[in-house]
Amino acid sequence: MKFLGLYKNTQIFKIALIVAIIVIGYIAKVFYTQMQKLDDSVELIANSNKTQYELEKLLSIMGNYEMNLRNYIITKDESYLEDRFSNRGEIEGCLQNLRRIAATNPIKIKDVDSLNNLIDYRFKLFRDLLTIQKSKQKNNPELYVKLLESSVCTETMHTFVYKRINAEIDKIKKYDISHQFELNDSIISAFLLVMLSFSILLLSFNKMNIDINELKKTNDELKFTNLSFKSAEEIAGFGHWKFNLDTNKFTFSDNYYRLMGLEPNTFEPNLESATKFLHPDDFKQAIETHKQSLIDHKPTSTMLRYVLVDGSVKYIMTVGSFTKNSSGNFIKIGINYDITAQYKKTLEIEENNKQLKDINAELEAFNNIVSHDLQEPLRKIQMFISRLEENEFELLTENGKDYFTKIRSSANKMQILLIDLLDYSTVAKGDKVLVKLNLNDLVEQCIHEMSLSIEERKGEVKVKDLPEIFGIGFQLERLFVNLISNSLKYSKENSTPKIVIKSDKNFIKEKCNDKVYSSKEYHKIVVVDNGIGFKQEYADKIFLLFKRLETESKYTGTGIGLAICKKIVENHNGCIMVKSKVNVGTKFSIFFPK
Amino acid sequence: MTTIQTPLQVFLADDDEDDRTFFSEAIEDIKMKNKLKLFNDGRDLMDYLFNADAILPHILFLDLNMPYKNGLDCLKEIRANDRFKDVSIAIYSTSSSDEDIENTFIEGANIYIKKPNDFSELKKVIKGVFNMNWQFHLSGLNKETFFFSI
Repeated sequence: MKFLGLYKNTQIFKIALIVAIIVIGYIAKVFYTQMQKLDDSVELIANSNKTQYELEKLLSIMGNYEMNLRNYIITKDESYLEDRFSNRGEIEGCLQNLRRIAATNPIKIKDVDSLNNLIDYRFKLFRDLLTIQKSKQKNNPELYVKLLESSVCTETMHTFVYKRINAEIDKIKKYDISHQFELNDSIISAFLLVMLSFSILLLSFNKMNIDINELKKTNDELKFTNLSFKSAEEIAGFGHWKFNLDTNKFTFSDNYYRLMGLEPNTFEPNLESATKFLHPDDFKQAIETHKQSLIDHKPTSTMLRYVLVDGSVKYIMTVGSFTKNSSGNFIKIGINYDITAQYKKTLEIEENNKQLKDINAELEAFNNIVSHDLQEPLRKIQMFISRLEENEFELLTENGKDYFTKIRSSANKMQILLIDLLDYSTVAKGDKVLVKLNLNDLVEQCIHEMSLSIEERKGEVKVKDLPEIFGIGFQLERLFVNLISNSLKYSKENSTPKIVIKSDKNFIKEKCNDKVYSSKEYHKIVVVDNGIGFKQEYADKIFLLFKRLETESKYTGTGIGLAICKKIVENHNGCIMVKSKVNVGTKFSIFFPK
Repeated sequence: MTTIQTPLQVFLADDDEDDRTFFSEAIEDIKMKNKLKLFNDGRDLMDYLFNADAILPHILFLDLNMPYKNGLDCLKEIRANDRFKDVSIAIYSTSSSDEDIENTFIEGANIYIKKPNDFSELKKVIKGVFNMNWQFHLSGLNKETFFFSI
């Protein structure tokens, strides 16, 4: 794994390659030195051989000369002496050769010199012998002495020469052995190094191949990415542009041109062409934003209008930010995207919102009219009724008194109706600021407020384990007041009204108005009474505005109370439903988010 | 000016003729020593008050919804003038909207009365206001006691 890791590292291979090249250079140098040494050895051997040859030649000439002299002494034939001078010349030639071979070697020069001396001495002996022989004295004893001397000298010369020759042979042998050894050594090391270098080269080559393949793959992927980016731009309606702050050059993507309604590369990318299609009103701001960003290098985000060639207006969001490219140049990269559709939609929504607000304002004005302006004449009617009642009531006939009472109760009913309507509209308009509330305290407060009417009906209201919820205080009070008064109102005449307000402990999951509420997210609170109840089939109707089930005059009501309750629960993102049985009672269930 | 011997100067500015009638009849009925002066609208009232030798009221009942100059504007003008600093102002309106109550409280009205639907109630209200310990009411002025209920 580690090796693979190294293998994948191009840097390591670069180093290995450099090492291989150095090794090869070293091998070449070693080889050159080795060859030079070989050359020297060969020359040395040649010299040695030549020296041997010259020495042997010298000996043979000397031998020949001696033999001729002996022959002359015995035969007295002058012809044996004919070669005398030519031999001497050849010997000189040999000596000169030996000197040349010895070159600057002082020992060899000394050897040659001593050989020369020996030869000179020998020739002197020759000459002496020849002189004695030519003197014609018979059996001269001096001749024998000289002959003996010459034999000794020849022997000495032989010994000297052979010693030299043997020395040369020894030297060659030694050279040969060490040379052989060095050669073997360098061949093995060279071979090993070559193999090593070769394998490194092979590995490098392979690695290079892999790298190139990878590069190719990366390149292909890059090409593909580029292509997909281009099509992504086209599909998403994006275009991008770049501005190199160091070279002052702009680059526009293909889709940048398309966003302008043009074919790619229709115009030269520069600041002038980039702003050419800008809406005249946006031109100044666009240029200023761009220039400012070039100073402070802060990202920009601007919505600009472009007027296309066909005259249509496009809303383009352009965002830009700064970065550095691989050459270290500062680049502003921007994305343009077409938000015409969204912008138009936003405008439309804004327009709708405005209309809605207008309608709401109208509704509110209508509510004001209903609740305030209608109250004004009603109040006067009631005022006059009270005036009449005080002063003129007794003057009326019985019939008149009856009508008068009906007028008064109708006026009072209308007043209640108007007040309820006003309440409903305030609840419906309700600002939603939810705060954490303890329902136990809140409901107790409601009961306290209603204590008079509860006592009047001799009712009992029980509160049990209510949770804390997030809600609007006065609305929740209104809700429970309405529910309690509703229960009191529709209680049975001959029994004590009993009302229980508690949270439902067995609640896990329940459906209310087609939505499922679970105990994980909701509290369930029930308000149960033992009142007159109603048929379950009317359950949905009781929450509707102005819907009343009981039309008998003893059950007074405006048909707004429960509608207000429903509105309040909806304001709290909850749900209210009712279950009832005639003559048994009614159970309201309310779900509040936790 | 606030001595008890002098008859209580009471002003009412209300554009509704019937309401003016109810009011003066109610005041007559409660038989308290006072001098009532009626104005048909805010402009009438202010014209009178800015008269240099005008008799200033002890209590001014001010309707809010009036033509030419509404009650809130009158209230602002009166409270802006140091000459009227002793005038107690009772807002007398059909509306009982939080907005109106809040605004008049901020602008310096002393009490807010919702016009009653019943004549006997009206008498009770007026009696209550007349008998009010204004000194106490002014010093302890807060939003809770601002809205008058019998």
